[in-house]
Amino acid sequence: MERVRRISQLFFLLLFIVLFFKTTYPFETVLPVDIFLRANPLVMLTTMISSREFIGSLLLFSTIVLVLSLILGRFFCGWVCPLGTCIDISDRLHHLPGKNPNKSLRKYRVVKYTILVLMLCAALFSVQLIWALDPISLLTRTFTVAIFPIFAFIIEGILSFFISTGLFENTIFSIYDALRGTIVPVEPLFIKKSVFILSMFGIILLLGQIARRFWCRYLCPLGALVAFFSKYRLSKRLVTDACISCGKCYRECKMDAISDDFQSFSHSECIECMNCVTVCPTNAFKYSLKLRPSKEKIDFSRRRFVFTGLGGLLAVGMTKTAFADKEKTGALIRPPGSLPEEQFLDRCIRCHECIKICSTTGKYLQPALLESGWEGLLTPLGNPRYGYCEYDCNLCGKVCPTGAIHELTIEQKKEMPLGTAKFDKSRCIPWYKHEDCLVCEEHCPLPEKAIKFDIKEVETRDGTIQPIKFPYVDENLCIGCGICATKCPLDGKAGIFLTSYRQERWID
Amino acid sequence: MDRRDFLKKSFKLSAATIAMYNGYVPNLFARTENMEVSKDLAYVVNGSPAEMVSKSIELVGGIEKFVKKGDVVVIKPNIGWARRPDQAANTNPDVVTEVIRLCKAAGAKKVQVFDRTCNEAKRCYHLSGIEKAAKKAGADVSYVYPQKFKRVKIPQGSYLKSWEFYSDVLNADVFINVPVAKHHSLTQLSMGLKNMMGVIGGNRGQIHNNFDQKITEINSVVRPQLTILDCVNIILRNGPQGGNLKDVKNTNTIIAGVDRVAVDAMGATLFGKKGQDLGYIVEAHKFGLGEIDLDKLNVKRYDYKS
Repeated sequence: MERVRRISQLFFLLLFIVLFFKTTYPFETVLPVDIFLRANPLVMLTTMISSREFIGSLLLFSTIVLVLSLILGRFFCGWVCPLGTCIDISDRLHHLPGKNPNKSLRKYRVVKYTILVLMLCAALFSVQLIWALDPISLLTRTFTVAIFPIFAFIIEGILSFFISTGLFENTIFSIYDALRGTIVPVEPLFIKKSVFILSMFGIILLLGQIARRFWCRYLCPLGALVAFFSKYRLSKRLVTDACISCGKCYRECKMDAISDDFQSFSHSECIECMNCVTVCPTNAFKYSLKLRPSKEKIDFSRRRFVFTGLGGLLAVGMTKTAFADKEKTGALIRPPGSLPEEQFLDRCIRCHECIKICSTTGKYLQPALLESGWEGLLTPLGNPRYGYCEYDCNLCGKVCPTGAIHELTIEQKKEMPLGTAKFDKSRCIPWYKHEDCLVCEEHCPLPEKAIKFDIKEVETRDGTIQPIKFPYVDENLCIGCGICATKCPLDGKAGIFLTSYRQERWID
Repeated sequence: MDRRDFLKKSFKLSAATIAMYNGYVPNLFARTENMEVSKDLAYVVNGSPAEMVSKSIELVGGIEKFVKKGDVVVIKPNIGWARRPDQAANTNPDVVTEVIRLCKAAGAKKVQVFDRTCNEAKRCYHLSGIEKAAKKAGADVSYVYPQKFKRVKIPQGSYLKSWEFYSDVLNADVFINVPVAKHHSLTQLSMGLKNMMGVIGGNRGQIHNNFDQKITEINSVVRPQLTILDCVNIILRNGPQGGNLKDVKNTNTIIAGVDRVAVDAMGATLFGKKGQDLGYIVEAHKFGLGEIDLDKLNVKRYDYKS
């Protein structure tokens, strides 16, 4: 059984990775690439509560997971969760001395329920914080922003090394050709703030130094939610009389879920990894299906509930009253099809699926730091100096699991400006130097360009009078894609920049 | 091979590679210096793209004049933009296919097709239809490698002292330029001389500033043996990307020649202009890169309809 579990874990981790690689241009996929997020009941609950809306795309798969948890317990944690699999692999590398259960840490089991209640309370007051600690969006984010770029960098580094030595050149370039555009991006990828995101993931893995599955035991709010449902589980695993009280299962248990007398389990802690079954010398375990749900007490007192609720309120208060710098919000460019800002922040779980897929096309989207306030931490923002929104692309809306970015048709997308470009005439070459340029105009993708120009006879630096083309933005046409700012040849700040003026959001 | 041997060999190889690329002078001129810049100019109309390409190359001497058995050929189409073939912002894939086919028939060992695109590379290669068509015709299609750009000194340059050029172009036996003719707000038109923007590295936007002189200096380094100007469909307004099919005209023409200034000057006539109207063609002619006066050329016309 343990072997089947391992195969299942590997399968889901590989599926996660494959779907991640499929989140690219050209976008062709059989399964929705965000299926792990859609099957996440925690995401479903918090986003629906905080947005006060029914989000159909999340309902089906997450309900299935919850229903299965009622029957099978915390199988999701032990058999499916890709972060759990990463933790298991990392735990093996930690070589913890012995496998003693961590009795002193047991009191911290309640922390994950505290976090869960905190998140739900905040959501009730329309502050969606689940993105910070939801395991699936955390993992997707880490892959998008850190793991994949680093992986690509290492592969390219190895290939570049061989290229620079000149050895086996033809073979190396053939390999490189095959990898580029499939496994490795065509152009090197740079995503900001990856350090913070990678650190979070790193810390979770490093906690394995203290105890196995530390995150799952004491912190994970999704685990807490599934555990809550597991306490009513219908299938039970029992210890029979064949037990000789050797204690092997007790030491082997990854979740420290076995009682000190070796005779019973915590059903809300057990993740069904089956290590105990494998290790038992007398085969003393058996399964039974009981129609009456078992009931297990979760140590979460009413007092704790009240204080957690107040904590949630405090978190809400702090995020909502902190102001966002107006100079920065003036350039707040959201993905095309984004809901109005309040609703956007309610739904966006910062999974970075949109950032991932955009990084394979225009590279416009980057994770925000504080540009949209604390509430907007790690949400996707357009960064026009680094990338642009490809004119014929509507892929971000297709991969957003919660509908924070509504899926637009290409025609709809072309009609919805993200913002407006404006010239900085103190920098733009024709305006300050009286010399021709027009790289911005050349790259404007509209069939009738939004950057036009007047030809004026002006005095140039060498003293002669020349006809120079002076560009300006046609504000009726500009869709704020940002390619003008990306391609502006100036070093440092561009001669043209983007503001959120004329920005349109998707309104139902 | 023991460790010492291996280290010795690697060191020698690396040293040789470094020495080769330091102050590198492209050997492209070795082939073209012996070839006189022919005054022949082909002007073919009203056929299928493949027919017209084939006929135009025949009229300037036949493919065997340019491609010998065992040659490594680089074909440089315009794949700059994420546009479909009917929008005419990139070279017509049928034109590219025919050039590849002819090169292969002449015995080319390898035919490479690439371009340093403006929009995202995968999209451009995909939407333009050129990647698919070229691969089907048997060419090696790849995205440009940042590692393959080499800095080359421009001895006659006053606006540019040096620039980065793609080493595959510098090393090729044959370099064939296959641009598409279209409107361009800055330069008025974009044809063969401007198509060389796709084989250079660095911050290309800077070339736009004092374009006429800078593009001429770029063209003084790389010299395609043959230029085939795709005028099957041309963008008349809102180029170089276009987008609106109403801006596209089906002029159904192919112009080919060894003299790239002449090809551009001839291409300008399709837009109702003369070579002398375009600053960069005048500059290129002044620099000595080719002939701007159409009367001084041997224009060979062919009309499939007659």
